[in-house]
Amino acid sequence: MLITGASRGLGRALARAAAHEGASLALCARGAADLGAVAAECRALGADVLAVTADIAEPRDVERLAATALDRFGVVDIVVNNASTLGPTPLPFLSDASPAELEAVFRTNVIGPMRMTQAIIGGMLLRGRGVLVNISSDAAVNGYPGWGVYGASKAALDALTRTWAAELSDTGVRMISVDPGDMDTAMHRAAVPDADPAELARPEDVAGRMVELLAGALPAADRVEVAALP
Amino acid sequence: MIAVPPVQRAALPAELRGLRRDSARLCVIDRWSSQIAHSVVARLGDFLSPGSLLVVNSSRTLPGALPMTREDGGAVQVRPAVRRPGHWDALAVEAAPPHRNIRLRFGELLRARDGLSLRVVGHRDDAPLLWQLAVETGDPLATLLREGEPIRYSYVPEPVTLEHYQTVYGRVPGSVETPSAGRHLTWELLMSLRRHGVGLTDIVLHCSISSLQDDAVDARKPLIEEWFEVDAGAARAVNAASRVVAVGTSVVRALESSVDASGVVQPARGWATLAVTPATKIRSVDALLSGFHEPPATHLDMLRAFVDTPLLERAYRESRERGYLWHEFGDAMLIL
Repeated sequence: MLITGASRGLGRALARAAAHEGASLALCARGAADLGAVAAECRALGADVLAVTADIAEPRDVERLAATALDRFGVVDIVVNNASTLGPTPLPFLSDASPAELEAVFRTNVIGPMRMTQAIIGGMLLRGRGVLVNISSDAAVNGYPGWGVYGASKAALDALTRTWAAELSDTGVRMISVDPGDMDTAMHRAAVPDADPAELARPEDVAGRMVELLAGALPAADRVEVAALP
Repeated sequence: MIAVPPVQRAALPAELRGLRRDSARLCVIDRWSSQIAHSVVARLGDFLSPGSLLVVNSSRTLPGALPMTREDGGAVQVRPAVRRPGHWDALAVEAAPPHRNIRLRFGELLRARDGLSLRVVGHRDDAPLLWQLAVETGDPLATLLREGEPIRYSYVPEPVTLEHYQTVYGRVPGSVETPSAGRHLTWELLMSLRRHGVGLTDIVLHCSISSLQDDAVDARKPLIEEWFEVDAGAARAVNAASRVVAVGTSVVRALESSVDASGVVQPARGWATLAVTPATKIRSVDALLSGFHEPPATHLDMLRAFVDTPLLERAYRESRERGYLWHEFGDAMLIL
């Protein structure tokens, strides 16, 4: 399983949950120290771990991550495009946000996942097997004041998922958007500093449910809300 | 063989010329009827009957030109023709065009920016322009991916990013020059061929460098070994197919390296040392999708194993007259 943005929050929790289930892992994040710590935690759980310091917004980094993972493991069965950025915080109203910031957010949240997917999906299509997960948000489908830049990027990612999923019909390769819901993470604290942690899901719980989801028969829908899973 | 005016060499991939990859022109040579037809790659299905099998090379292309620094501070570009664990056989050329060969000193240390260092321990007897470099420190694959650039010849005057050298199905990294025949293929086309009953399987052959940057040496066609793997699934599919269509001469080299005395393809992996020449009797492949290349490319010898020289010359002449483009970003040829 290849997980981007694996050093913190949901990415870290997913890596640990997958390691616990015996998965081999290719993990990436921008910060080498945090990534190294997560890789060590996963190795301690018995996982074979490849850790690659990489920024998903950089095309060369994406290729290096994909090529290194394919060199090490030969095949990648699952990709979780988890890395994303909120853009500027405190979250600005769209009337006040700069288009340059929107562009930067799209590079990480939309173009990065598209490159990552294109780098890995060829091998999946040759084998007729594979799952690609794009982490979405309820900001993709709702107009929350301040969440426009991030929400637009996640709506764009959802649109990629929806179309790609249709193009992949009958190939054995699946692509889904997963909305993990509001979690108690550094990213959420940056967006909503005064949120009550007691009202937020723990990333470990969300990650556990996602690993269960990926281990079973995937739902037919191309978008899943973790909170609505049975 | 026919010379090609420079104007017909493709300087950019189709998608950077505002076209789709599968919009490349396709010269179809029927070697049984000696007929030649002209179409486009997107219409490949017109020429393949159900039960045919496309065999692609899923080797992923590395940025194979690595800038390094010599002990005297001079710049050198290193192109690994053969990559083994801890060891490269590599061309050493000037950093800038025309990339003439550089004479290294035995024992000297070459350094890349990110910490890779390679010791010059000798040169190959069979290809003296290939220097034997031993890894002293660092991770050669990581450094290539971090610091390398795609190997580029003079007919591609401006840098083209690596993604344009990749096929849509590139998987295991290892080629230093792209297996270019498959560059034309799109998943939309491959999926439509599948619905039409044309199978798809893959082998891996890591393509080495196509030129030693010395016309006299290239004319002698030095044989460079290439790592390949034909797995059990591919061997089974090839043996069961009614017609095997190799996508690229690298697939021919891999399959012909895997075929046994009775003509059955066996799972195999290792270094391909086979030279396919006009005299070779091809046993594992019935048809070939390829590109257009210039002499003295060994590629042309491979094509002549499939097609008589006069028919191939006629196809090249017609294609030239119709404005086909040559080389890795150029147009395509299907030999049936």
